[in-house]
Amino acid sequence: MESEVFSANSGAMVVAHELKAPLSLMRQLALSLEFEKDLTGVREVGQQIVATSERAIRQVNDLTKIARLDDALFEMEPVNPRVICDEVTAELWRLFEFNRRELRIDYRNKRRLAVANPQLLHSVVYNFCLNAMNYGGEELPSEVSVYDRGSKIRIEVRDYGPAIPTKIWREIKSGFVKQPVATPMRPGSSGLGLYIASRFANYMRSDFGLIRHKDGTSFYIDLPISGQLSFL
Amino acid sequence: MIFVIEDDRGWESYYRRILGDSAEYFHDGVAAIAEMDFDEPPALVILDVLLTGPTGFAVLNEMRSYPELMNVPVAIVSSVNLADDIAEKYGVVAVFDKGSMKPAELLEVIERYA
Repeated sequence: MESEVFSANSGAMVVAHELKAPLSLMRQLALSLEFEKDLTGVREVGQQIVATSERAIRQVNDLTKIARLDDALFEMEPVNPRVICDEVTAELWRLFEFNRRELRIDYRNKRRLAVANPQLLHSVVYNFCLNAMNYGGEELPSEVSVYDRGSKIRIEVRDYGPAIPTKIWREIKSGFVKQPVATPMRPGSSGLGLYIASRFANYMRSDFGLIRHKDGTSFYIDLPISGQLSFL
Repeated sequence: MIFVIEDDRGWESYYRRILGDSAEYFHDGVAAIAEMDFDEPPALVILDVLLTGPTGFAVLNEMRSYPELMNVPVAIVSSVNLADDIAEKYGVVAVFDKGSMKPAELLEVIERYA
């Protein structure tokens, strides 16, 4: 019975399956436009199509970036984690809204600048947030927090969802997710987002990990503090 | 009442748009079965396959183990490529691929059973 679903559990299959989800949703939404009775409904469906397509495009872009990591095209520079988190939350708020989810922000860091590649860090935080949106329980928020932790600045995204499978937990504890893993426990993103985040964190020589709570999971990235002053 | 068992938030949002309050929405099969009234079972269950917790097929088998739920019509809507004989094998009224399903096809099933 289970084999009918999971017989082809390769990384490529998982990626294909995950990318099919937003594509098929966009198609369905577009087809459903003819049933909308008024302009407001049409606009709402249009906005949902845009939000869903942006998510899919970003995932494809991230996968493309992974293929280019070996060329070392992504330079490290001082970045303000709050600015990155603001960009990500601004990009995702509509998708969260369509999915009846809330995204909260909590900035507590005193040190302002970290060393990272802004594009890759943006993707890491984006995928953490998307992961939290998919796994968060009904009526429960996802939380993005930034705080100092010794000589590092931590960006952490917490969800209130089901426990993460041990297989993925072990891979993340080791600091590297080898390939996206399909899991019936947390199928919303099937590990693709965590795989992307892991690869980018590893490239930036940042610590990537998770904290298991009894009512959810926090994923984090620890970034080295930049010596450069921030006037932001 | 229609039961929608779907854990993808985007798809849930889509179902809410077309079904509104005529359906109850669940992200996993365990919660859905726990809410099923044996005296007044759902008129139709729209079931995804890759779910949080047990798969759609496990949910289906669990439902079939109760005499009161045995004959509840179930429509599978999934992005998993399933074998052609899956409807017959599992005794479901329809199997839709999310990538090729047309809204009218689903609405037809809903009108017929709910």
